[in-house]
Amino acid sequence: MTAAAIDARGLGKDFGSVRALDHLDLEVREAEFFGFLGPNGAGKTTTVHLLATLLTPSRGTARVAGRDVVQDGLGVRRSIGLVFQETTLDRDLTVEENLRFAARLWDLPRRLAEPRIAALLAQFGLGERRHDVVRALSGGLRRAVDIARGILHEPRVLFLDEPTAGLDPRARRTLWELIRALRQASGLTVFLTTHYVEEAEPCDRVAVLDRGRLAALGSPAELKRQAGVGSLEAVFLARTGHPLAEPTAA
Amino acid sequence: MTRAVYGIVVRECTRFLRQRGRIAASLGRPFVWLVFAGAGFAGVFAGRSAIDYRVYMVPGLLGMVVMFGALLAALSTVTDRDAGVLRMMLVAPIRRRTVALGKTLGATALGTLQALAVAAVLVPLVGLRPTLGGALLGLGGIVLSSLATGALGLLLAASMRSIENFAGVMNFVVFPMLFLSGALYPVRHFGPVLRALAYLNPLAYGVDILKHALLAGWAGSGYGGELPLGADVVALVLFAAGGLAAAAPLLARERGAARAAFQDRG
Repeated sequence: MTAAAIDARGLGKDFGSVRALDHLDLEVREAEFFGFLGPNGAGKTTTVHLLATLLTPSRGTARVAGRDVVQDGLGVRRSIGLVFQETTLDRDLTVEENLRFAARLWDLPRRLAEPRIAALLAQFGLGERRHDVVRALSGGLRRAVDIARGILHEPRVLFLDEPTAGLDPRARRTLWELIRALRQASGLTVFLTTHYVEEAEPCDRVAVLDRGRLAALGSPAELKRQAGVGSLEAVFLARTGHPLAEPTAA
Repeated sequence: MTRAVYGIVVRECTRFLRQRGRIAASLGRPFVWLVFAGAGFAGVFAGRSAIDYRVYMVPGLLGMVVMFGALLAALSTVTDRDAGVLRMMLVAPIRRRTVALGKTLGATALGTLQALAVAAVLVPLVGLRPTLGGALLGLGGIVLSSLATGALGLLLAASMRSIENFAGVMNFVVFPMLFLSGALYPVRHFGPVLRALAYLNPLAYGVDILKHALLAGWAGSGYGGELPLGADVVALVLFAAGGLAAAAPLLARERGAARAAFQDRG
């Protein structure tokens, strides 16, 4: 058995007096498709930012790809890809220029970066748009470029933070196809946060997060069986006492 | 780290070259000053000075181009944060100080390029014929003052929450820096308090180097450089190093730029 891709123990984060993440114990296996389900304000993004070394934990420890998030931030960042909720592309640069910029930030030499960029553009159906500035792209295409940017350096763990937020249903479907193909081709560990149950359904395992605490953890089938209900939505209601759809008073 | 810094500089330059309005404003501004301020002040100076006021303005106008070019480029860190691009830089496997260095060198490149483009027209236009040594010294002065202004601009940007107080920056940073730089009149005319303020201003040292470089022929009548060249260089290096050292941790601080960039929503 290989080491866990993500291993968090008692991880927590406060912003002033606000407890964004209370106490999280979590192990994500290598090559797992892991879903992090919870309403807005549950602490999903805080968790991702802690694991990606963008925030310092208030308590607890975490290792990502075998590296400690506090001791070895650079090592962690080298091993992960992160697609943020909102696009982080430079809207005034072209698709290709954005990917080249990322390649340089990740210290990829040109001879490695150029073929990878060409391959990703082809794989994501962006070949024709490579010279378009990002501003001119639809939301769905921008997301695709964000993901291409996230995996350009071939990370071991890819974090997708609400990747389909703000996309229309068709763009969403296209994006899911893309992510599925990607996982099949690479065996990448994917850590997905979402507040849509249907997006958590295909995950190998799902963690249900509510108000900064883990409410349930298991495969979608297990969770439904344990709670004696037929949907993840009902699992959430059974575990937390309130529905997922209505944001909690966070 | 070198590749990341290079990438950040290339991005800054690519963005700049794509913004026609910004280029036109930056290249046109000094000529507007030359014509309007030059005409007015030349009348006031007429007959009293050994130097044509329009010639006297050249080092100051080049300093002004450097300041607008480098300061505004460094301030783009604030818009980078709003647009999310700063996140891309902070999640890359590079240190915060590499991001700070890249942004500062990008600002240096832009300040230098714009000042050189303006100099190529402005210097012959007023009939200045600098020596080769003078031209090289001028280039050095432009690069150093771009570096110092860029580093201080980054410090300012890292401590600002949003670009909304941009007008405040213009009124309380850009114009005082310009008027207290010796760009429009010699610093020696100031009283002790204003003179002390002027020498807290990196632009004053940059303009002074440019006066050494371009107005050496008028040094005897008091219109050349006012400080020893070595003092100008040391001051600019200190401003650059201090600005960079102070800005890098601000980029990393959770309460500063990073916190604003990564705050959890609702």
